[in-house]
Amino acid sequence: MGVRLFERSSRRVTITEAGTLLLAQARELLAGSEAFMATARRIRDGETGLLRAALSPDIAGETVAALLTEFQRRHLGLELVLLELTTAQQLARLASHDLDVGIVHHPCDVSGLELGPVLRRELGVLLPRTVAAAELDEVPLSALAGHDLILFPRADAPALYDDLLTACARNGFTPAAVRHGQGASFVHGLLLSADAVAFGPRDTRPEQVHGQRPDSGVVWRPLAGAPLAWRHSVAWPKGRGDAAVKAFTEAATHALRTTADATSDVPSRPLYLRPASEYWL
Amino acid sequence: MYPRARCTFVRHRSTGCDRHPSQHSRGLRRSRCHRVTGRLHALDIDSGAQLDVGADQSVCTASVHKLCLLVTLHELAAAGRLDLGEQIECRPTDRTTGPTGLAAMLDPVRMSLRDVAYLAMAVSDNASADLLLERVGLDAVNHTTARLGLTRTHAVHTFAELFATIREDVGPGGAQALTDPHVISRLRALDPARTNRSTPRDMTRLLGAVWRDEACTPEHGASIRRLLGLQVWPHRMASGFPFDDVHVAGKTGTLPTVRNEVGVVEYPDGGRYAVAVFTRTANPAATLPAADAVIGTTARIAVDALRAL
Repeated sequence: MGVRLFERSSRRVTITEAGTLLLAQARELLAGSEAFMATARRIRDGETGLLRAALSPDIAGETVAALLTEFQRRHLGLELVLLELTTAQQLARLASHDLDVGIVHHPCDVSGLELGPVLRRELGVLLPRTVAAAELDEVPLSALAGHDLILFPRADAPALYDDLLTACARNGFTPAAVRHGQGASFVHGLLLSADAVAFGPRDTRPEQVHGQRPDSGVVWRPLAGAPLAWRHSVAWPKGRGDAAVKAFTEAATHALRTTADATSDVPSRPLYLRPASEYWL
Repeated sequence: MYPRARCTFVRHRSTGCDRHPSQHSRGLRRSRCHRVTGRLHALDIDSGAQLDVGADQSVCTASVHKLCLLVTLHELAAAGRLDLGEQIECRPTDRTTGPTGLAAMLDPVRMSLRDVAYLAMAVSDNASADLLLERVGLDAVNHTTARLGLTRTHAVHTFAELFATIREDVGPGGAQALTDPHVISRLRALDPARTNRSTPRDMTRLLGAVWRDEACTPEHGASIRRLLGLQVWPHRMASGFPFDDVHVAGKTGTLPTVRNEVGVVEYPDGGRYAVAVFTRTANPAATLPAADAVIGTTARIAVDALRAL
């Protein structure tokens, strides 16, 4: 390279300034070559190699653990690189083939993708124990009127974000402000300090997340009439669903069903096509 | 994005019962500005709960009156006085003018009464409406609305006659003169006393009767509801209900500065609401998408209020 990277003396070796400047890029190159070699291995061996898979940040630790266990059981010898990526990030990387498989939130743009079974997780509401609606066994969305809403940043899954807010408005809850937060601790803090509520599936209820802590000041309640849900499915680029992807799909579906109360997504509402839709079935 | 038109729904002293929470009628009036004014009546078809914003004011129906014609046609069919499958001829020479349906077509057409009715409802075809009016007569339409207790609803002319009054009142300036406030102010077609007229409350009463199968036999009621559900326009009432599981059926009416729609909104939980919205714009421009959307917005506010009762 024509650059001195280290200073050697009889006693020690130290990195030069030039070496420091190149270090970050060197690490990237090494990591890239590792993935490169792993992909080559996978192509050569078919079943063994590296599978680059992504989960969205809202998948709970217990589900991740179950997924990994189940995946190893199904497909020994395959190297799984698990990444935490939002739906939008996953779609971009699936399109550029920087990702082999992911668990995305619907609705999203599924063109060019193949999907595993769509799973549904009913959302409940997280709210401070002191709020009146916390007294109810089931909270109607309209009872949340007047509170701010803590929601994931819109860029993470724009279609889902808009869908959730539309469903809230239809059911009588138009939050005065939407605050963006994602991590469980951060959301928990906002819930306690601001006049806000958040949505989450059953496995986000505080007694589950915080385990031994008996009273975190926040409670989880189901929403009356189950008006909101997350719908997930495993997704991979069309035509690239090999045995590894199949194993991941099965493991993820199993993990979501057993640890995250996910159920099959059966459309329960009628669909009325209006003439302006210009198609008819 | 279109600029959002603001609307003022003027509340008048009303004799009807008002069971809605007052904050909702405030909501209808709150967003005030000087661009769109209107009258509204919303009715829960099953409970009878209602929301009234000038619901007993006389309004120009314009093409909303095609709904009265449609009900009349089915009432006569139910009475055995005509056959909906009966074929009628439509020659290009004596068609009422209009931008859609038979009115826009160039060649002779032969079709059944019920298909003509479809065109009159789906795309507000004026030629089709006048073909039906010719067959049943204006008196029959007024007889039907009177029989259903719509005391404030009356048709005084066919659609061809309605447009003739506009042409006469506009004078030699033609359509361009419709931007002139003097011309707008002298149009008989915009004066409820001298044109086809109704009230928002009469129209929800009519829709309620159709949806409860009180206007005619269930079979004919279903046919009327089907045709109202086939209306193609997405820009007015339907725009306020952007939900795949909500069914919207309706009939629009439009004249210079007039934008109306009456319809029924049905929710998957069984809730069904008749809503009648009649608006006027200060701006005489023909293309005002934001003013069209006001009808959807106000209908949605009204239905949300009825559902919250």
